[in-house]
Amino acid sequence: MTAISPATLLELYESMVTMKLWDQTALRLLQEGRVLAGYHSGRGQEAIPAGGVAPLRRDDYLMYAHRGFGYTIAKGMSLAAMFGDLMANTAGATGGLGAGIPHFADPELGILGQGGTLGSCFGIATGAAFSAKYRGTDQVVVCFFGDGTANRGAFHESVNAAAAWKLPVVWICENNGYAVSVPVAESTAGRIVDRAAGYGMPGVRIDGMDVTEVYRATSEAVDRARAGEGPTLIEAMCHRFRGHYEGDPQVYRTEEETERLLALDPITNLEARLVADGIATDERLGELEVRVQDTIDRAVEEASSAPMPGPERLYEGLYV
Amino acid sequence: MSQATATRTLTFSQAIREALREEMERDERVFVWGEDVAVYGGIYGATAGLLEQFGPGRVIDTPISETMIVGAAVGAAITGLRPVAELQSSGYFGIAMDELYHKAARWRYMHGGVFTVPLVIRLPEGAKGAGPEHDVSPEALFLSASGAYVVIPSDPADALGLMKSAIRDDNPVLFFEHAGLYAYRGEVPGGDHLVPLGEAAVKREGSDVTVIAWSRMVGESLRAAEQLEGEGIDVEVVDPRGLRPLDLDTILESVAKTGRVVIAHEAPKTGGAGGEVAAIIAEEALEYLESPIIRVASADVPIPQSRYLQQFLIPTAASVTEAVRRLD
Repeated sequence: MTAISPATLLELYESMVTMKLWDQTALRLLQEGRVLAGYHSGRGQEAIPAGGVAPLRRDDYLMYAHRGFGYTIAKGMSLAAMFGDLMANTAGATGGLGAGIPHFADPELGILGQGGTLGSCFGIATGAAFSAKYRGTDQVVVCFFGDGTANRGAFHESVNAAAAWKLPVVWICENNGYAVSVPVAESTAGRIVDRAAGYGMPGVRIDGMDVTEVYRATSEAVDRARAGEGPTLIEAMCHRFRGHYEGDPQVYRTEEETERLLALDPITNLEARLVADGIATDERLGELEVRVQDTIDRAVEEASSAPMPGPERLYEGLYV
Repeated sequence: MSQATATRTLTFSQAIREALREEMERDERVFVWGEDVAVYGGIYGATAGLLEQFGPGRVIDTPISETMIVGAAVGAAITGLRPVAELQSSGYFGIAMDELYHKAARWRYMHGGVFTVPLVIRLPEGAKGAGPEHDVSPEALFLSASGAYVVIPSDPADALGLMKSAIRDDNPVLFFEHAGLYAYRGEVPGGDHLVPLGEAAVKREGSDVTVIAWSRMVGESLRAAEQLEGEGIDVEVVDPRGLRPLDLDTILESVAKTGRVVIAHEAPKTGGAGGEVAAIIAEEALEYLESPIIRVASADVPIPQSRYLQQFLIPTAASVTEAVRRLD
């Protein structure tokens, strides 16, 4: 197993801290009534978008999931644009269409967007991977989805075709144990990772709370895809700390369960490791957090100054 | 190779194939995929010979997976390619409806216009003796799919010219082809024959009655017009050649001239696009109407698999003739 350099570990840490502070800031804006959107907190699952996007090149493609905005943060999306979409104003990446469900996209960064009907990511990821192969580039697609989404029929059609055609895709399933309120054991036969064998591609189940495991598994899968060796399925076992959405009463699990999860925090665990291994000091990590929060605050400020769209916005961008 | 210089006679199916061939020669981003489109050449022969000319990289047999066929075409379109995807029957719309309605039509809009989705979905439609699921003409389902164009040729020249324009257009195009027309022959102009999207054709000029018809019903309406000419009724046949963009100017101009309207399509009357066209005419041109609008369409029953029974259901030239005679 290849070692991850201290510099990369620090980058992964900063990436996760950005996601956590973004989440805190979004929740604060939500409480202040400044967010015109639903929000699915990604708290607890930061290791997967951080470790799963870091191995990508700028021109690689990203199909992201709806939990938190970590994927697009890691791919380099403008923070102000994402805040603008939360506030539904014209600073948003969509230019004022907002983010009931996020539809951020940035073709320059390979961010291909997101569908609100979960599972539609699969077909689009297969098509983008086909496109890369057709055009003779060595671009790779990473497609994130939850354990619940894995049960949509589009999974079979698209994962099968991508495997049959040896397309450069990495399928990353975030298994946090619940499809909204329904436990995986009640809704899903067998293990999701075992489906890989049925499609004749490698599959690996990893600890999705450990960013180094996610980074390693994704790097290997990306290398294989780039080399023309086809897709891989990664099942990253993880936990979400908050409800499915803000306001979720979480009647399907106990408070004790959610409190126990906090000991598994991927960020505090990496922090302890960085300090114990002498890669960083508490002081340095504290400074990093202050710097990241400052960047986020400036992005909020920038986004806040933009006007709301007028009714004419409804008619823009539909046809070419 | 390349375009024919002179007028030629082609079947509707050959015209589709020529359009695909010419556009694939012109633009290497154009590719074709669907079920049985490569080695087999498409169950209606519309992709025959393309595999031999362009190879397996650009003419691709897919699994029987319509959700993927359309969804992945969207993924290819937003990353720089220009897919032409075939659903073997438009009756499979339900298997790919999320991808057609929410993804192909709306991916550009919902992401703030940062993408274009230049794709064509070929949708063979219409009665052919295969039964309630395969024989549908579901174009009206997409009236509310704003973001997608709906294009419907009625003869080989339009099939070629509209397909070439659809492939070159940066909007997603749902391209309906009546299965009963594939073997129908017609003259096709030579050269780079392009028919603009959203431009209706007056297929026959007349002064007494406007028949608005599309797909197979255009030919039926032209036959009806010939018969009615003998009875002293001068029928104008307007083919909108699709539902979006809809050429209202040509339709309303004809209505203003004749004051009488029959709308003919093969889909059942209830929920058919004739209702929308009639509503627009009522809103925009009621003062010109000298008689109530009549719709010619199938009855509101599933299309049976029996060809024998289909003859009592599917509208024909006689249905149009009878409707025109009923006008005041």
